[in-house]
Amino acid sequence: MVFETGKVIMTSFGEPITIDSYIAGGGQGDVYKVFYAGEKKALKWYKPGALKDPDAFYENLKKNTEKGSPDKAFLWPEAVTEKKDGSFGYIMNLRPDGYNELTNVLVTSGGGGFTSFKAVVEAAIKIVSAFRILHVRGYSYQDMNSGNFFINPRTGDVLICDNDNVAPNGTYTGIVGTPQYMAPEIVMGNAKPDTHTDEFSLAVVLFMLLCASHPLEGEHWVVPCLTPEIEKRLYGNDALFIFDPHDPSNRPVRGVHNNVLKRWDFLPQYMKEAFLEAFSREAITNPNKRVRELNWLKALVRFQSDIVRCSTCGNEIFITNASSTVCDRCNELYEVKNTLKLYEYSVTAAKNTRIYKCQLGVCNADEALTPVGLVVAKPDNPQVLGFRNMSKTIMIGTTPSGKVNQVQPGEVIPLKAGISIQVFDGTIEIQ
Amino acid sequence: MPDIREQETIARKLLPIIYVLDTSGSMAGDRIAAVNTAMSETMEVLKDVSNNNPTAELKIGVLQFASGAKWITSNGFVYMDDFYWNDLKAGGLTDLGSALDELQSKLSRSAFLNSDVGYKVPVIIFMSDGGPTDDYEKALKKINETNKWFRASTKIAIAVGDEANVDVLQKIVGNQEAVIRVDDLESLKKLIRVVSVTASMIGSRSRTDSNSTGDIMDGVKGQMGDDIQTVDTSTTVPDTGDDPGNTPDDSDDPWGNADWD
Repeated sequence: MVFETGKVIMTSFGEPITIDSYIAGGGQGDVYKVFYAGEKKALKWYKPGALKDPDAFYENLKKNTEKGSPDKAFLWPEAVTEKKDGSFGYIMNLRPDGYNELTNVLVTSGGGGFTSFKAVVEAAIKIVSAFRILHVRGYSYQDMNSGNFFINPRTGDVLICDNDNVAPNGTYTGIVGTPQYMAPEIVMGNAKPDTHTDEFSLAVVLFMLLCASHPLEGEHWVVPCLTPEIEKRLYGNDALFIFDPHDPSNRPVRGVHNNVLKRWDFLPQYMKEAFLEAFSREAITNPNKRVRELNWLKALVRFQSDIVRCSTCGNEIFITNASSTVCDRCNELYEVKNTLKLYEYSVTAAKNTRIYKCQLGVCNADEALTPVGLVVAKPDNPQVLGFRNMSKTIMIGTTPSGKVNQVQPGEVIPLKAGISIQVFDGTIEIQ
Repeated sequence: MPDIREQETIARKLLPIIYVLDTSGSMAGDRIAAVNTAMSETMEVLKDVSNNNPTAELKIGVLQFASGAKWITSNGFVYMDDFYWNDLKAGGLTDLGSALDELQSKLSRSAFLNSDVGYKVPVIIFMSDGGPTDDYEKALKKINETNKWFRASTKIAIAVGDEANVDVLQKIVGNQEAVIRVDDLESLKKLIRVVSVTASMIGSRSRTDSNSTGDIMDGVKGQMGDDIQTVDTSTTVPDTGDDPGNTPDDSDDPWGNADWD
């Protein structure tokens, strides 16, 4: 059944929704462009019979609309419709132009519109941050997969769709997940989705995004026929990370898993370590041992500031140990003149390097990505760099000679070695 | 760091969608015309599905049977982008056994199933409006006994009209739930599309707890509603012997590479 233009459906509280046009259909339902409360919105309408327990699903969806969206990254259900003709739907924001589904980024060649790795890392940060907030609110997402993420490849901005399975942690909505992304304990049939299974799925999403390859698909995957029984072992009982340090039997295969073979060696050590931890034997078998979102955020924001453009050929370089690094394309040395020493590590101080609150020490979930500082270049002389206070508080700058200055929000100070900046109970040392 | 724009398509398995279509004399006229229309439209939809399926790239095989059986895709399974539907003509007997013999010989790594990345379990869609005119039982016994690909594959049958031999189709697909009866031609056209699209997304969509044939059938029923009947008789389907999933592991080859001919 298809709704015609002009048809009116009511929300559960009696507000009219007017159908404008059909956008797309999927296995579960159809999506329409509609007018609602004076705005253009999207309506997802379920096919009758598509849901296992429609009444419970409806109630959960309704509760989610009442609680409201945890983060602007989620295309969150805003209102549910009345039940009609054996089904129902919900209203959400329309997806703006310029966003590309992660599935599409992966199944096409050429990077799906991304022109910079920095934007890929930005997308990873946005995804982790959104799930951190979702989990802190007590929800689990339940069915993370490449079809949920819409990414603006220019900016790395992310929109997360399909929030209709989101439920209080521990609730079973009837969906167990999507193959490739389900946690091993779900694949084995020992568990139902919860925040820990979300954490596993999140690690898979991050690996897919950064390496364009699946973390468990190596030699074991290259079998003549991937039967459901072998899939159950590959993603469940015998799940083994392709770079497992103790068991090399599932390494990526040349000619098949080329993306990850090209990229892995370039990843900074701390990113490799995060993945090695996320897909360690321990984390695979013990849901309590998974990498937490805060740790992903710390690694990813550090990674972001370690990506610079070669001043000779324009290639992206991943800086190693915050020190001068040779460009792997033109072999010119990229000179790191200054670094910023933070709580746990130093990052390269290059134009556009950003410092967030989670890099200064312990912080709350919603504050992890609170901007602290940004490295800027002088408009008339790009060689001269400065540090801008991006926070809303006054920073205290101390020069090598001991002179103390207040740095107002928005103010820029010269990027000179020896200056130390106090902010949010943390210290940034320019070196 | 290599340029992000040099990123290759993620490694995906190949998913063969194999149509085994009855083109006997009784299909002549409106029926074969409906099949041709439906297949032609379905192939366009499947191109899209293949390009967006995160875990598998589709390959198409078409085997027609009448007096004897013949592969339309005679050089092997074909990538969606390279496949165009040529209308089939109907005439002759219903040699279902010959079709099974053809499957027997081509479902093999040394024939149509050679590949570096490997395959997902094939989907075989049978469609018939009659009953076999040759010794299909002998062919079925042989393929079930010797062809692991056939045994492991997801099999669905479409029984067209009153004359279709539902019992035979049940024996072939080995699952009475997976035989769908359809009477009018509009429903047949829709069914070909719905079964094809649903089957080609198998293993890449969100899952509830059930097996792959169950998932496909749930999807098909959800979309077809009252247009179809799934067969629910008390006929018992003979057990086809060992379950391919429970084949004992060879300790030298724990991931089953050598098991597949």
